[in-house]
Amino acid sequence: MKKWLSITLGIVTATGGFLDAGTIATSGESGARFGLGLIWACLIATVAIILLVEMMGRFSAISKKTYAEAIRENFGFKFYLLPLLSEVIAESILLAAEIGGIAIALSLMTGISWRILFPPAAFLVFAMAWRAPFDWIENAPALLGLVTLSFIVGIIALGGPSHQLLSTLWKPEVKQGELADYLYLVAATLGATISPYLLYFYSSGAREEHWTSSSLLLNRVTAIVGMSFGSLGSIALIFLGAMVLQPLNMQGSSLGELGLSMAKALGPFGALLFAVALFATCLGAALEVVLGVSYNIAQGFGWEWGEDKKPVEAARFNLVLIIFLLVAVAIGLMGIDPLQLALAGSTVIALFLPISLFPFLVLMNDPQYLRDKTNGRFSNIAIICILLIAFVVAFVSIPLEILSGGG
Amino acid sequence: MPITDDQIFSIRDIIDSQLETREKRRIGRVSDIEAIWQEDGTLVLSSLVIGPQALAGRIASPLRSIVRFVLRDRFDHGIPLDDVEDFGPTLRLRGSAADYPVGQSDAWIANHILRWIPGSGH
Amino acid sequence: MLRKRCAGPLLLVLLTVTGCQLTQSAFSRTVGNAGAVFSAASTTLSYAHEGKITSAYAQASFVNYQSELDGLDQQLPSQQGAPDKRTVQHLLDLYRPAMQAVIQPCLEESCHWQAQVAALNRASQAFLMAGG
Repeated sequence: MKKWLSITLGIVTATGGFLDAGTIATSGESGARFGLGLIWACLIATVAIILLVEMMGRFSAISKKTYAEAIRENFGFKFYLLPLLSEVIAESILLAAEIGGIAIALSLMTGISWRILFPPAAFLVFAMAWRAPFDWIENAPALLGLVTLSFIVGIIALGGPSHQLLSTLWKPEVKQGELADYLYLVAATLGATISPYLLYFYSSGAREEHWTSSSLLLNRVTAIVGMSFGSLGSIALIFLGAMVLQPLNMQGSSLGELGLSMAKALGPFGALLFAVALFATCLGAALEVVLGVSYNIAQGFGWEWGEDKKPVEAARFNLVLIIFLLVAVAIGLMGIDPLQLALAGSTVIALFLPISLFPFLVLMNDPQYLRDKTNGRFSNIAIICILLIAFVVAFVSIPLEILSGGG
Repeated sequence: MPITDDQIFSIRDIIDSQLETREKRRIGRVSDIEAIWQEDGTLVLSSLVIGPQALAGRIASPLRSIVRFVLRDRFDHGIPLDDVEDFGPTLRLRGSAADYPVGQSDAWIANHILRWIPGSGH
Repeated sequence: MLRKRCAGPLLLVLLTVTGCQLTQSAFSRTVGNAGAVFSAASTTLSYAHEGKITSAYAQASFVNYQSELDGLDQQLPSQQGAPDKRTVQHLLDLYRPAMQAVIQPCLEESCHWQAQVAALNRASQAFLMAGG
């Protein structure tokens, strides 16, 4: 009984962990600008994240090590710096975006400007990361995040997509001069979904909850069902953008705009549901990002870590957490729109994906860590292909975006 | 006494390994090692080094002297090899965290910074 | 001008050259974005009066629209790819009343919100057209 309860909780967690400011921003903008023409990117990203989450859980359950610990021990300090630095750069932008997302959600509920709400939003993240126990952090925002499933209700209320729109699924309409934007969104979609912070967080979570080889079923079910559910929310948002915003010539370039599609479908209640979903997913993701990076650093340097300990018992871990939050607040206070930050952060993550995850593939094939549970050939090839696609698309589209003055 | 496979360690097994104290507190990872030439010509591992200078040296040797110029050996500390009770994936030390300068840094941060923040458990 | 920008290491040249074809000019991009934001503003204002969103939601959204559109009138004439002066002037004439609505959207029943929606729609259409 207890096992099934924990499987259910795991799925809920994964659903919440999947969506964040990055996925909401990319999905909404994709739908508004290119109809259903980016759902393919969302689907391959989902396959990648299912495979990666399953691997990460398997790795930590069997080797009893987290990812960061294993990189440092197996590849040495010099190499460890690469994924660490790429992580810190990309995730600080993303954390600023998540906090901005919380602020915007609160502002949509209250009418107060999000810039005023940004510091309180950052404080909320700090307060929860500071003292809340691990399962609380996992489950509270994740449960609220289930509100994202109301996006599907929204699509039904709008009468479903037209036949014409459905054809953009396999024939994306990319107007002249918009190819760079399209590629930029492909990269952002991949980077937003295949988020390394989620993996660092998940592998530490598996350790905090003392997973063993008997947790492998729980792990597999969580990865597949949870991530698919999460992906459902983000695909629903693409549909909503394509059905409501695109015909009105909107581009979905601010988070509040994306909620208008829910408002059209379900009225003020729909708009409120969108704001709650935004709040919950961004809060959950902000916690996962700030903890993911702090775990990474503390484990890489061999410091005491853990969310279930009092802050003074893991002082260096908690100090990193505070400093990282302050950096994100500084980025956020520059006043850049959170949605643009989320897109930029996600694209940078896509660019760094090979650096963050190739060492992981090497570890996943090392019997020293995984005994007889190493990776199969299919998973290896699939992950390598998807990481390379993400890298190439990001590498091409980032300079293009900068040259054309967008991004 | 013949030496079995389990008793042979490579440098790779020691460097970057987790250091844990008697009371199972994680205090850091081995940044570098120090060895001395014995009179009979053998090289003997003497101590483990932990600190930013040693780490900088691992990135590139010139960096070590630059960082040393800035930090002036203040944060680098050695732990004599005799203090290691148990070798393996984790190096277990004989002393408690308070016995090592590296182990005291958590306490220092807790006492000087975190104590001012409510709910730190100080 | 183009040649000058495309100078540099080989990779950058390649990317820039393709960039010149794959992306829009700075002008059409800015104008197109602005058109989309005006459309969003118009929809938001209509939805607020149709009872589809609360006025708090509308107010929060307008803060973002405002920051996206701010300073456009100064930016527009000097942007790369800008057309003749008359077209730009025409856009600017539509920009001002629409921007007025974005800064002070009329969210109560008492004021003339339909006129604001109309101004926003006019601006949106003209900007989207100019943006291609």
